[in-house]
Amino acid sequence: MTQQSETAAKSRPMTAPLEGVPLPDLERVPDYECGFWEGTRAGELRIQRCANCGRFRHLPTPMCPECSSLQYDWTQVSGRGFVYSFVIVRHPVHPAIREREQTPYNICMIELEEQEGLRVCSNVLQVAPEDIGIGMPVRVAFMPAVDDPDVVLPVFLPASEQ
Amino acid sequence: MPPNIMPADANGIRDKAAIVGIGETEFSWDSGRSELQLASEAIKAACDDAGIAPQDIDGLIRYDMESNHETLLTQSLGIKNLRHWESVSYGGGAGNAVVGHAAAAIAAGYANYVVCFRAANLRSGVRLGRARGPERIAGGADSFAVPWGSMAPAHRFGMFVRRYMHEYGATSRHFGWVAVTLREHASRNPRALRREPITIDDHQNSRMVVDPLHVLDFCQENDGAAAVVMTTPERARELRHSGILTLVEAAAQGSGPRNDGIVYRPDLAVAESEHTARDLWARARLSAADIDAMMFYDHFTPFGLINLETYGFVPRGEAKDFVDGGANIRFDGMLPVNTHGGNHSEAYIHGLTHVQEAVRLIRGDSTAQPPQKTINRVLSCSSVAQLSGAVIIRRG
Repeated sequence: MTQQSETAAKSRPMTAPLEGVPLPDLERVPDYECGFWEGTRAGELRIQRCANCGRFRHLPTPMCPECSSLQYDWTQVSGRGFVYSFVIVRHPVHPAIREREQTPYNICMIELEEQEGLRVCSNVLQVAPEDIGIGMPVRVAFMPAVDDPDVVLPVFLPASEQ
Repeated sequence: MPPNIMPADANGIRDKAAIVGIGETEFSWDSGRSELQLASEAIKAACDDAGIAPQDIDGLIRYDMESNHETLLTQSLGIKNLRHWESVSYGGGAGNAVVGHAAAAIAAGYANYVVCFRAANLRSGVRLGRARGPERIAGGADSFAVPWGSMAPAHRFGMFVRRYMHEYGATSRHFGWVAVTLREHASRNPRALRREPITIDDHQNSRMVVDPLHVLDFCQENDGAAAVVMTTPERARELRHSGILTLVEAAAQGSGPRNDGIVYRPDLAVAESEHTARDLWARARLSAADIDAMMFYDHFTPFGLINLETYGFVPRGEAKDFVDGGANIRFDGMLPVNTHGGNHSEAYIHGLTHVQEAVRLIRGDSTAQPPQKTINRVLSCSSVAQLSGAVIIRRG
């Protein structure tokens, strides 16, 4: 928790992904990344998994860094995890963030429960930035990007402890 | 696993190359001139300092972010035959690596006078801290970061810092002592862009930009250029600074295992440059105890603490105590750091000014020269995540 949480008014929570920021062009993303975005469009968090040794990996790559297999699957994960690290962006660096007054917003590295060190970058919605902390349990949700609903973004929500 | 065929202490460049000239342009928010102009001026200044003519240069090592490519410079500098050229990738990771590459080229006999340089309008031109425009992303690390707003170096390095704070109990106030100290050093340096001294309260009260980073944790974004000239020690003894040679004693580069390791490496509280540090010390056959001053890549102040631990000046987790109050890291302290003011307060030239300051300290003409000790060895180390480089420069 940040020091401000007890002394200052809390900032508003994020309720949706950011608007106006660059999105992937799904026509141009490489073959070894497509499965991620096909998964989110189907409402599933799918992570690249080696077909030989079974290790998950993210960011996606053509080859397994553990066993060098070129075979992989896109495996649905539970979508449960915890906040491994985070920042609160208070100063906008992109025109759309500035013009649409989208600060503050959080960026979180979410560690997924399936494998130690398996992380995705996302936002945690429905929680004031001052209340985000390392270790906070979260669960995935999916929201289409405002600027292109074909791109469905995984976001996370606070979850109760298991 | 195949055997490691390289002895850990293999060091074919040891004392084979000397830095004989350093030069730079003025640093500014708006240079008002081209990046080729800046590069030409800085390289000419470095040649003047060395006592050679630009036409004598036959090797160029640039950052791969550099817009000044080799053919532009051969013409501008009057080089008749560029016998060796390289570009080193990865922004600040190239900062000291360029010097290691130049030393290797000189040790191999590929060139007589090798120049390492960086010239850029990083304020009036394209700013690294600003996000790109509205175009779509064709995959890669950005496509898994930018849609959630992770668009600037501070966003990713902030994740690193947060995790480090969580693991080791460092606070923003500790980072503030680095800021106060670097600004004090800059206050003595007429080249520096930010010379107004600051207090720890100024730091703590400064605008929060990317929590946990205050604006006074950030380096500058500025225009300018810097260059160093290198040659063999034998030639160095015939040149202008023949009295005190500044030799490259060892160099190392290293990486971690992951793409975008700033946020994806296995343990975010530990620097990937620990690989670089291990090789550097083995090659030099030295340890942190042998170093008189440390120049670290201060894109953000917390990396002062992290570098102190990574290179073994203090045990992991104890840098917060070492920097507290600033006395240990001041120019007159136990371990002077960034006596020029660093990227934080002098100027951001992608770490090359740190190498220049190492040379000044050994020559004895830093504007924050440690008053009570002779500087014989300086460590200059670059960014702590993904690809990093480091060099040890010693008095010869």
